[in-house]
Amino acid sequence: MIPLEYELALSALLFCIGLYGVLARKNGIIVLMSIEIMLNASVLNFIAFSSYTNDASGQVFALLAIAVAAAEAAVGLAVFLTIYQTHGTIELDKVRFLRW
Amino acid sequence: MIIGLVGRRTPEGGGYIAVGAIAASVAVSAYLFYEVLGMGMLGGQVVEEVAGFEWLPGLAPIEMNLLIDNLSALMLLLVSFLCLLIFVYSLGYMHLEEGKPRYYAEVSLFSAGMLGTVSADNFLQLMIFWEIMGLCSYLLIGYWYHKPEAAKAAKKAFLVTRVGDVLFLIGILVIWNEFGTLRFEEIAPQVGVLSPQLLTLIPLLLFGGAVGKSAQFPLHAWLPDAMEGPTTVSALIHAATMVKAGVYLTARSFIFLVPVVPGVEPPWIAILVIAVIGGFTALFAATMAVVNYDIKRVLAFSTISQLAYMFLGLGAGAYIMATQVSEGSAQVSTAGYSAALYHLFNHAFFKALMFLSAGSVIHAVHTNDMREMGGLGRHLPVTSKAMLFGALALAGIFPFSGFFSKGEILSVTVEAAADHPVFYALYALGLATAFLTAFYAFRMWYMTFRGDYRGHEHPHESPAVMTAPLVILAGFAIASGLLAYGMNGFGNLIFYEEPHAQMPLVGVPVLELGLEAASLGVSVLGILLAWSVYATKRIPAERFTATPGRAFVHKMLSHRYWIDDTYDALGAKVVYAFARASDWFDRNVIDGIVNAVGRGGMVSATATDVFDRQIVDGAVNALSLETVRTSWRLRQSQTGQVQSYAWVIVVGMAVIIALVFGISWFLRLQGGR
Repeated sequence: MIPLEYELALSALLFCIGLYGVLARKNGIIVLMSIEIMLNASVLNFIAFSSYTNDASGQVFALLAIAVAAAEAAVGLAVFLTIYQTHGTIELDKVRFLRW
Repeated sequence: MIIGLVGRRTPEGGGYIAVGAIAASVAVSAYLFYEVLGMGMLGGQVVEEVAGFEWLPGLAPIEMNLLIDNLSALMLLLVSFLCLLIFVYSLGYMHLEEGKPRYYAEVSLFSAGMLGTVSADNFLQLMIFWEIMGLCSYLLIGYWYHKPEAAKAAKKAFLVTRVGDVLFLIGILVIWNEFGTLRFEEIAPQVGVLSPQLLTLIPLLLFGGAVGKSAQFPLHAWLPDAMEGPTTVSALIHAATMVKAGVYLTARSFIFLVPVVPGVEPPWIAILVIAVIGGFTALFAATMAVVNYDIKRVLAFSTISQLAYMFLGLGAGAYIMATQVSEGSAQVSTAGYSAALYHLFNHAFFKALMFLSAGSVIHAVHTNDMREMGGLGRHLPVTSKAMLFGALALAGIFPFSGFFSKGEILSVTVEAAADHPVFYALYALGLATAFLTAFYAFRMWYMTFRGDYRGHEHPHESPAVMTAPLVILAGFAIASGLLAYGMNGFGNLIFYEEPHAQMPLVGVPVLELGLEAASLGVSVLGILLAWSVYATKRIPAERFTATPGRAFVHKMLSHRYWIDDTYDALGAKVVYAFARASDWFDRNVIDGIVNAVGRGGMVSATATDVFDRQIVDGAVNALSLETVRTSWRLRQSQTGQVQSYAWVIVVGMAVIIALVFGISWFLRLQGGR
């Protein structure tokens, strides 16, 4: 049985990696992937506490979050695809045409 | 049972729902009738009270109850059965019309109103449903609301019946004031408390309502115009059901006309008024039917005339009953009462039959004018035979139903003449009416179905959904007479209402051969005259307008005795004078006040204007200017950079988390100390 602290530390590490990616990288696809990493970090938290408290509802939430994440990724990718087709770039510092 | 009664209020959708609902209520009504018949056969009486809810609680609560006695059971069965047939017929007749849901909703509401009227147990409830019927009548006459005549006729019907309804309402208020209750059977034993004047007044007020609803003189003017509605509506409302509500109400007011309390003098004057109005209207309306060319209007006048027969029967019957009661005789004859209701029953069938046949004819030739018909017997075989049955019943030819009931009413009138000579005159009127009735019924039939076709359409027989109800009704035009007679007279089915059932009653039908022969004879004479004028043309129709005197009579009848014109002129004069007075008052008094107020307003407005421009506007402008500046400044922070937004979120989260931890740490320090 892996202690709870280890799992939480891994989750926090994953979350920080994702956060770094979101804040520092320019490529939209990379940012999207980083968001997925952050999401998975929180899912990992759910699982960790689920096994720690012997309560199955955490796993249910995890499955739900994964399903939502899949949908979200699909929408995000579609958005970036459209942006690429209309503006020829997915560099986030250039994608600012919705500004007033 | 209540569900059954409420069931027909499902209005939406096409006619099938309406037909289904009404069929269900026919079943319920038939069951009820059977029950009542079973219990009330031969001298017994039955009253079924279904307690409803308390509608207006108070010192003397007004309740909504259902009253099922012999009278209302008969009416329920009659109304729901006719509604069913007419709804079925409507499926064919209204097939191509627009707004069918509206039509079915209105007729369904109407039949709910009628069934509610006949099953009400107090006057207020009766009045409520009565008014529902009035509303539906208005809506249905104006069904083709884009036709100005229809809209006008609807208004006329509504306003003219309103006159009667006001009298009815006053009557109810007087009853309430005197008795503190409106329920029929609570009133009946108490009529002794009334002064003779009030005892005369109350039934007259109620009769006023009946006159309006049943289109009796002088409130008859609305019914012929009501023929602007669809023919099914005329058949349902203006022949079979709604106009019968007046007769029903008068039958209910027998609790006043013939007091059940011993020693109370009956209101002779009220009874005579009812009988005289009935007798007079019968002849009056029949004469107007003779000259009309609109097939539906002929039927409308005929309806008025036949309803008048019922009032005559009720009046004469009430007179006989009242005489016998006040003389304390051992047996009380109900012949007039049962004859009138018997005629109501028969008339509902044969008049609905005639209206529906007329509808079928109109459906085929697309006109109401009999001058453009003729020779239709070849094209419309079923319709013409059905109409013939209806006309025979209306004319009162043996063995059709009209013969029995009309003959009985006339016999009762003669019997009443032994008590009061006025009834001899009324009998003469009734006999003359019988002659005219036969004449105009067959004038209509010959003009429509015999001779050469004078129109331009290509007539064709109506679909089966329309002819089937005709055939059923034609069967009833014969059977409803024989049926009831086979049961030893309609009188023994005792359709008098509950309070009187306590009396020692006999319901032997008055059937005197001489009188029957007289009424049959004049009917045959009338038919022969119609035959010789309109079928064989042996007597030219022009002879009736040959001399100036005769032409004048014809003109007078065509203009309905100028009564409608008089009403219009009178209404116009009175209303115009009132309007002139109002106008003067308006210009000189109200305008003066308004102008003064206006001038004061202008002065204060100038002052307000200055204040408004300088101070209010200044403040508003300053505020908006400042808003624009601030928003411009804030706009600079919106860079459009997704990642800078992300930074703001992260920093914000960090600050919030720091704050939460910091505050809880601080609080813990405080608590620990």
